[in-house]
Amino acid sequence: MKLSLLLFSSFLLFQINIHAQGGDITVNGTVVDAETGIPIPAINVIQQGTSNGVLTNFDGEFTIEVPTDAVLEFSYIGFATKEVPVNGQTEMNVTLSAEAAALEEVIVVGYGTKRKVDLTGAVSVVDVESMNRQSSPQVSERLQGQVSGVTIASSGQPGEAPQVRIRGINTFGNSNPLYVVDGVPTENINHLNPNDISNLQVLKDAGSASIYGARAANGVIIVTTKKGAGELSINYNGSYGMQQVPEGNVFDMLSPQEQAELRWRAMQNTNPGEPIVDLQYGDGEQPVLPYYILPAGASQGEVDESTYYLDPYYTDANELGNFNQIIRANHEGTNWFQEIFNNAPIMNHDFSVSQGGEKGSVLFSLGYSDQEGTLKNTFFERYTARVNSDFNLSENFRIGENLAVSISDNNRVGLSGENAINHAYRIEPIIPVYDIAGNFAGTQAPALGLGYNPVAVLQRNKNNLTRTSRIFGNMFAELDFLDVFTARTTFGGTYFNTNGKFFTYPQYENSQNQTTYSELEKNAVTGYNWTWSNTLQYKQTFNDLHNVSVLLGTEAYYNQYEEIVGVSQGFYSFDPSYVSLSTGSGTQTNSGFYTEDALFSVFGRLDYTFNDKYLLGATIRRDATSRFTNPRHGWFPAVSAGWRISQEDFMANVNWITELKLRGGYGIMGNQSNVDPANAFTTFGSNRTSSYYDINGSNSSVEEGFYRDRIGNPNATWEKNVNTNIGIDMNLFQNRLQVTADYYHKNVVDLLYNTELSATAGVATFPFVNIAEMKNSGLDLSATTYVDFTSDLRMNSTLTFTTYENEIINIAEGVDYFDQVARRFNGSAIVRNAVGHSVGQFHGYKIEGFWDSLEEINTANQAAQSSVGNPDALYQSGIGVGRFRYADVNGDNIITADDRTFLGNPNPDFTAGLNIELTYKNWDFSTFLYGVYGNDIWNQVKWWTDFYGTFIGAKSNTALYDSWTPTNQNATAPIQETGASFSTSQVPNSYFVEDGSYLRAKNVQLGFTLPTTMAERFGIGRLRVYVQAINLFTITNYSGLDPELTGTATAFGIDEGAYPTTRQFIGGINLTL
Amino acid sequence: MKRMKHLFILMAISCSILVSSCSEEFLDKPAYGALDEELLADEKGVNALLIGAYAALDGQEAGNALGGGGPWEAPPSNWVYGSIPGGDAHKGSVGGDQPAINPIMKYDFEPSNGFFNTKWKALYEGVTRANTVLKLLAQVEEITEAERANIAGQARFLRGHYYFELKKMFNMVPWIDETTEDTNQPNDTDIWPNIEADFQFAYENLPPTQDEVGRANKWAAGAYLGKTYLYQEKYQESSNVFTEVINSGVTSNGIAYGLTENYHANFNAALENNKESVFAIQMVANDGTNTIANANQGIMIAYPYNSVFGGSGFFNPSQDLVNAFRTDPATGLPYIGTYNTNPVKNDMRILSDEPFTPSNQSLDPRLDWTVGRRGIPYHDWGLHPGYNWHADQSYGGPYSPKKHIYWQEHADEFSDQSSWSPGNAINVLIIRFADVLLMAAEAEAQLGNLTKALEYVNRVRGRMADNPEFWLGEYIDPTQPMAGFSDELAANYNVSRYPEGYFTSTEQAMDIIMYERRIELGMEGHRFFDLVRWGVAEEVLNNYIEYEGQITTDVRGGNFTQANRYYPIPQRQIDLSNTAEGPVLKQNTGY
Repeated sequence: MKLSLLLFSSFLLFQINIHAQGGDITVNGTVVDAETGIPIPAINVIQQGTSNGVLTNFDGEFTIEVPTDAVLEFSYIGFATKEVPVNGQTEMNVTLSAEAAALEEVIVVGYGTKRKVDLTGAVSVVDVESMNRQSSPQVSERLQGQVSGVTIASSGQPGEAPQVRIRGINTFGNSNPLYVVDGVPTENINHLNPNDISNLQVLKDAGSASIYGARAANGVIIVTTKKGAGELSINYNGSYGMQQVPEGNVFDMLSPQEQAELRWRAMQNTNPGEPIVDLQYGDGEQPVLPYYILPAGASQGEVDESTYYLDPYYTDANELGNFNQIIRANHEGTNWFQEIFNNAPIMNHDFSVSQGGEKGSVLFSLGYSDQEGTLKNTFFERYTARVNSDFNLSENFRIGENLAVSISDNNRVGLSGENAINHAYRIEPIIPVYDIAGNFAGTQAPALGLGYNPVAVLQRNKNNLTRTSRIFGNMFAELDFLDVFTARTTFGGTYFNTNGKFFTYPQYENSQNQTTYSELEKNAVTGYNWTWSNTLQYKQTFNDLHNVSVLLGTEAYYNQYEEIVGVSQGFYSFDPSYVSLSTGSGTQTNSGFYTEDALFSVFGRLDYTFNDKYLLGATIRRDATSRFTNPRHGWFPAVSAGWRISQEDFMANVNWITELKLRGGYGIMGNQSNVDPANAFTTFGSNRTSSYYDINGSNSSVEEGFYRDRIGNPNATWEKNVNTNIGIDMNLFQNRLQVTADYYHKNVVDLLYNTELSATAGVATFPFVNIAEMKNSGLDLSATTYVDFTSDLRMNSTLTFTTYENEIINIAEGVDYFDQVARRFNGSAIVRNAVGHSVGQFHGYKIEGFWDSLEEINTANQAAQSSVGNPDALYQSGIGVGRFRYADVNGDNIITADDRTFLGNPNPDFTAGLNIELTYKNWDFSTFLYGVYGNDIWNQVKWWTDFYGTFIGAKSNTALYDSWTPTNQNATAPIQETGASFSTSQVPNSYFVEDGSYLRAKNVQLGFTLPTTMAERFGIGRLRVYVQAINLFTITNYSGLDPELTGTATAFGIDEGAYPTTRQFIGGINLTL
Repeated sequence: MKRMKHLFILMAISCSILVSSCSEEFLDKPAYGALDEELLADEKGVNALLIGAYAALDGQEAGNALGGGGPWEAPPSNWVYGSIPGGDAHKGSVGGDQPAINPIMKYDFEPSNGFFNTKWKALYEGVTRANTVLKLLAQVEEITEAERANIAGQARFLRGHYYFELKKMFNMVPWIDETTEDTNQPNDTDIWPNIEADFQFAYENLPPTQDEVGRANKWAAGAYLGKTYLYQEKYQESSNVFTEVINSGVTSNGIAYGLTENYHANFNAALENNKESVFAIQMVANDGTNTIANANQGIMIAYPYNSVFGGSGFFNPSQDLVNAFRTDPATGLPYIGTYNTNPVKNDMRILSDEPFTPSNQSLDPRLDWTVGRRGIPYHDWGLHPGYNWHADQSYGGPYSPKKHIYWQEHADEFSDQSSWSPGNAINVLIIRFADVLLMAAEAEAQLGNLTKALEYVNRVRGRMADNPEFWLGEYIDPTQPMAGFSDELAANYNVSRYPEGYFTSTEQAMDIIMYERRIELGMEGHRFFDLVRWGVAEEVLNNYIEYEGQITTDVRGGNFTQANRYYPIPQRQIDLSNTAEGPVLKQNTGY
């Protein structure tokens, strides 16, 4: 960091030198549009090779002082740059022509390219440079907020794949988009080096995506990697930074003394007047913190510490009984969050060499990313290498290849359910990290709950590792013939291998030791797929008016997946160098899984343009798949049209409109990813744990038995996404403002849903049936402005705005909803996906307030009793003073399951990204803000921390200081009791729902580029250094660690102690030789 | 170069044609790692399916109940559904742990309580597997008639068992058999005749002995048939079949039915499949699965808290149950009706390091094989330490369960440490001979055969009275619990037979038999169902709540009403039975 500061200051000095050169004459002039003759304001007029420059005024006029032999450069986006030598002139009238390249900007679409102006579908083009200002090693994470119509949520955990949704949620199953990298479809781009990307497009509607047929419904992201171009260039990009963990009492937990007081309070509330006897805190009026928590409640001097005996690496479970662990209380309190989170470094290095010319091009790149997790022992480390090359064997014949290899090492913790992070708010602060001998302390100290020592959990996770290696690439050959035809064949695919190693240590510090043995699990997953596409394209222009392009193609796809798992137990030594599958002395088990599937497709596209004004496109694809049998084939058509209004004669005089296009499209996209390849079959299987039986009464072995494990549906077919899109593209004020807006409506029909069958059918895997239906509608908007304040100070900014509204129309006959995520409630689930609502909504009882007195309760009970005609009836189960009063939603004076209602929606009203880039001379500044508005979060952490009665364990300040008492009726949490009740924490209720809106500064970056003249002096092409802050601030009302949460397609936004996204400070360098 | 181009075009075209022409084959992918029906429709296959039908008895799969849900939501021993709501035990642990058991303990049964759904699903999977056997057996041609009858008999026995469980829990349940096409059937008919027919068929077709001890035999079917009659109050039929079973019955491995001299042999994996074992679910430890799915997983949370077992401290016997073991020191007979007046001394609120002397009251020796209590040897694990072994004594009471606890001596062999709470190889007894005798006694008492009834009851009491060498002794050395037991008894035990002619009326005999069933079969999952069929549940259970509520907080507010005789049909299943005309399944009355 210090080094870069030094560099900065020296560059500043050079800057001053450059300015010392002055101008000799004053040049005045006007700049006009070559086509219309209208003056153009804000044209950048620069003395070539310097930073001396001005802007034209509103009448297109400028004044600049330059040496007599200077060359002036006139430039503006959308116009061809013009160089005019001054040659002593003091008056200068310059005409600028619209740049052909701007019109010719080419976008990669399915199986080909298109001029941007010819687009009729909804395609978002990502600004790769802006995207790559993010620090995450993962492309999909960097995409967040960069394009409209794409909603991305990620966690702070290194290597965790983010959740990517294009235009909302289109299915109950896999909602991930299809990625097409260099023409090869794939389901995952986490292995890609972001710096290898040349361009990235998102195909959002049927008009653009349905050429991908049965895999297009979730949208398509097309990635093209870089090619060599121009002279030999060597690039290096490097960055290094620190990820910062929030400080202090992050979970807002009580101190040990307060924790004990809360226990006293809860006991008194539950059994008023009964004497309290406590293992740890004594039996006095007030709790007293013990010196030792193991032996429980012992005081100083009472324990002979020399009797301590514990072997942390014991190999015989019976040994446990002989241990004599001694743990002193931590009176100050262990801050478990800080014990498991630490500041951690993040770095990226990327090196590439490229060259291109008439004969072909080559690019070679190496990348290295290393992100250590802020959570102990989590990390993601990736090496990538790429060779892209193409050769023009003759004028009309080209071949080439793209090949990427990546190896990544990853150690992660599970994010849903229970993990080290949620044990950090469950384990009591009186427990120290270590016992008197330096072994782990834990709930072996009794009466302190069941939380695990999260430091121990992570420490034992230390040598675990998942290593993924992947080869991804393709080869192609392309031939032009008869002037109008191009034939192309591409063969590409992936081979990947993931090896996981998980060692389980025996535990000794817990009241319930998860394992009392050692175990090694190793798994190997091998995946292999190939895609072979052949296309023939015909392109011709007739009479300079009719542009016709036809594409025909075939594609075959084959995919296989295999998993092998071996487990061995009982290791003599736990030394990582000793432990292997063959060295365990105990039970050895193995298991495996294999599947394969295939697709064969034919497709075609017709594009017709009349006079560059009227655009028409049509695509059709016929897919045949191994996943479905009856029918095996499906058709996916789409039509789209565009009208470039700005090309019409009547628009000729509307100068402020450069480009105006209306677009519309309609079509069908399919989704086949939600069925198992075996869905069509009714099968019988065997399982040692559920269908084997000890028929011999041997007590030690089981005999093989079979059962029906799957009920098949031979008639399942694709989910169909019937999509309508209307869009408008506008370039206004000489391209200074570019707006694209799209409104869409999608009816997703024939949604595959595996309706749970009545239990009378058995517990086999239920078949997926095309039965459900949902709809999505929304608006995608992006606006880019280019503003040059002066010729030195320029700004461009892009705003993206995304909304979607999802509604489930139908689930299955007689099925109006399905529930998910039960957690530790009484069996009721948190999430209800119901007809008439969006997916993922939170469901439960709505809290109206507290029961402040017995009178209130009696009144409510009496109403309930007369209402149901039962003198024993209660208004609500578990009714009691200080507990929650639930809303009587259906107005029948009694709380039943029917009074549950929708409590919140995790789908945001909108998400928005704002990217602002400013350049001043050699300085550049950029910032990127990302916001999510209107989503709710289910904060399950509170279930553990705000209710004494849920589980013994660490509790929050809310539980002690802001819970209901007779004198604090205006409280947050209910009365603290030793037990849980229907009226407190036993059922999902609105206590857990919070607003999850947030605004986050994802990036603030300041860079300095060495002036060209200086760079030349050092013999380098370009050198830029920068400092940046990632996630500098987050504005939110959410009380949990991080409002950004992931989940599944139908259950998300549930916080169980998120792996927080961290603030990062990074310095970096971009160098071109 | 030109040639290469042409070659390329030719290749591309021909390959496309090639791939499209063979695409049908290219796209035919089987289901990997699975069999279809045809491959199993022979004698070997049907036998393997039958093993699968037995495997559903424990209601478990790896880490879950069969078909999902916590293992303890579908325990074959019914500790959650028979023992806790029957007043034998508290839920235990702490209030917030497994909160869905609280309403079961307090008769606040909500149809949406996930536990009921889990149990229902596991039982119907058992039915489905038995039906699959029968369906495929009908397709098998090459098989001897004896073998066909044996397989069909076992499948129908198992189906009878699964339906018996469903019937006693939920009363009105849909009947699905091997001929049912649409499995969404109404629950509008009483299925007792179907259950009876299954056991009748099994009784008539099964051989008296089997090659493998785990298989049901003729006599197990007879005992279950008698039980089926008894539940329907068909006392004569019940008596007839029980008489045959008692007089002629043998176990599957050919040992004549009898009571083991050692009461505890029924709960010890080393002594299982003995002469008392009429039908048991075979449990197995360390079976190579690295799970405890076949090792009593359903009761995994019911080991003492903070103990060497690493348990969660569920399933704590009630004070009410403990009191029931008191005996009159003079006669060795129990205090029927008044057993709570002079309760057994307990260690409530006394820390483990504070002194406590166990009660010296006169007690039935079965108490200390049923209940773990402070200061008494807990098998060979040491003296029960009381307070420390409870997550919250004021909530779940001062006692620990004992019948499913394995011995330290056998821990390597019969316990399974593949999970966070151990598994074990102790069989779950569906029917043991003492149960048969007590059921037969009931039938006889109802028929007015009081002498016969008393004889049966006294056989059960006599086993305890006659075998003091199998009463629990003190440790030779309490610091060396594995060193064995001395002749000194662990408590003041006293038990004897009822005198000749003690039964004076059906009503009085039934009161005694009901009481005897409780202490003989305590903590074995029967109590709630017995109380319901006797029609005394409301009185007995509300008294229990009132008494036990003075000792612990957990049961306070509980109230049994007549609707609670049966558990509600799981709301989830009613929802799933929905059709255009509404749900096919109807809820039990009162829910």
